Formats: sequence, structure tokens, C-alpha cells
Amino acid sequence: MLQWIHRSPQHWHGFINHEVCVTNRDQQRFEGRVFTVDPVSASVVLVSVQENECPSVRVILGHAVTDVQILRRGTEETERQMKSVFLPDRAQDLSAEELKSRRESVRLWLEKNRVPVTEDGELLCVANALTISAPYRPGDCSSASEIILSRIQSLVEKLPSPEENIPGHQAQLSRSNITSVLQTQ
Amino acid sequence: MKTPVSVLRLPRGPDPNSRGFDPSSPRFLALCPTSVPSSSSSSSDEEEQRLRAELRERFLRTLLLMTGKRVRFDMHEHVRVHARFGASDIDVLNLQVSDLETPLGVQREALLRCQDVIACSFEV
Repeated sequence: MLQWIHRSPQHWHGFINHEVCVTNRDQQRFEGRVFTVDPVSASVVLVSVQENECPSVRVILGHAVTDVQILRRGTEETERQMKSVFLPDRAQDLSAEELKSRRESVRLWLEKNRVPVTEDGELLCVANALTISAPYRPGDCSSASEIILSRIQSLVEKLPSPEENIPGHQAQLSRSNITSVLQTQ
Repeated sequence: MKTPVSVLRLPRGPDPNSRGFDPSSPRFLALCPTSVPSSSSSSSDEEEQRLRAELRERFLRTLLLMTGKRVRFDMHEHVRVHARFGASDIDVLNLQVSDLETPLGVQREALLRCQDVIACSFEV
């Protein structure tokens, strides 16, 4: 019988979203719904399933796990509830028109600050180095370059709210600043 | 909130880095996985990689959620300590915490070895 830490990712993945009982070497038992199993350390992340309390999360380190038994299978509803604890607010909260207008305002703000940006469906592509996905908050920027990421993130953070968006609003970054940022990648 | 205790300067152990954090120590090398065990059939490599990435992303989100929160660490011999979680290293071998409440007092900053920790729990 293989040890827990030597199991395959497929085996670990099979436990996600199900209520399990994890036993450790001291015969202690931990119960909860599996959110994930870390492939590096085989640590099991359990979320409590009680309805009326605020959710609590327990991470059991892989080296301490001896056995994991499924008690109850989860459903799509339980998966959704569990995900809402961990993942940031979903973009589906905003309607299509709101997303479009938000995308437009972010794009105009970037263009005003001399940042080359193109639209690619629902994504905003900045200078082929960074993409912003819905709902276009600073946390939705992804890039391979740390420097570009931090510059664009702080820029998106400074996006003025609709009341402040007057035509003469000062751009945050000068042209030379932007070109030097994009050349460092 | 208890006042933090001053850092204890203990005498050096037998090895130059006897606290167990030295990356070239035999203990670290034995614990740190240098190669990733994969399934034998090559056709399912992509699938396995995809599963690994999904599992790891979820785990990283768990760590993100844990940062800055007051976490209870269950360790060996039924020892329980509370601390504010800071960060973990990439192989989940060490955990950086602040305001670790110990019987000796509150340690302002501390590093916990994951081999000593059985579980960590926190409220969302």
C-alpha cells in the first residue's frame, strides 16, 4: 500500500469536493471537505461543512497523513460554495454591459497614459506583455514581467471613478516613463 | 497583547547551521523533493501536468487566504500554538510566522519547520 505522499496527482484529485476523514499517525481524525491536495507536499486542505458557522479551513501537512477515507460525495453546489470561500468575486456578478463599459473605461485610461493597449475579445492586451481579464481590477492583471505588472497594476488602481473622469484629467505617467518600462522586459 | 520577548541567543550547535534550515544539509536534501515522481505512461503526461497545476493553484490560493490571519498550529505531542501566518517557502518546508505565542512568551518573528507541524487551522 503506497504512502499518501507517494500517490499520483490523479489519486489526489479524486478526493476534491468530497467530505473525507483524514487520519494521522497519532490516530487523530480530521473531517471536512477537500478543497485541494498540494502536489509538492501532499498536504490536504479541508473546509468545514457546518452551515451556520463561519467557514474554517484546516491544512494537514502531507507527512502526517496516513489515511484518507471518503465519507460523503460532494455535489456541484458544494463545489461552488467552497470555491466562493477561496476565489475572489466572480466576474459573472457584473452584467455584460457593465463589463463592457468597465473594459472601455480601463482601456481609455491606459491610452490616456500612453500605454499601448488592444482589445482581444474580453481581454485587454497591453504591449504584448500583459493581459487584463474581467472584471479589469488591479488583481486581474497577469504578465511574465514583474516590473511591467507592478507599473500597470498601480496605474489601474489609480483609475478615476466615473464622476472624476473629466477630459482634462492629468495622465499619471509620462511617455518617457512608459517607454522605459516597456524596454526593460 | 503580551509584550514580545527578546530574541534568545542560544549557543551554536555542533553543525554550522544546526537549526535544520541550511539548504545543503543532508536533512534538507532528504526532505526537499528534487525530482517529481510521475506516472509511467507518457501519453497521460499532459493530463497529469494539468492536474498538478490545478491542485497547486488551489493550494496557493489557500496560502493567500491564510496570510495575515491568526492560525492555530497543531504540532507533535499535542502542542498547540497560535501565530499570525506570514508565508511559506516553495516546497512547503518552512513557515514564516509573526507573534508566535509560546509558553516562553510571544516571539515577534519565527520560522516553523513543517516537519514539526501536523496541521494548521484558521477561520475565514
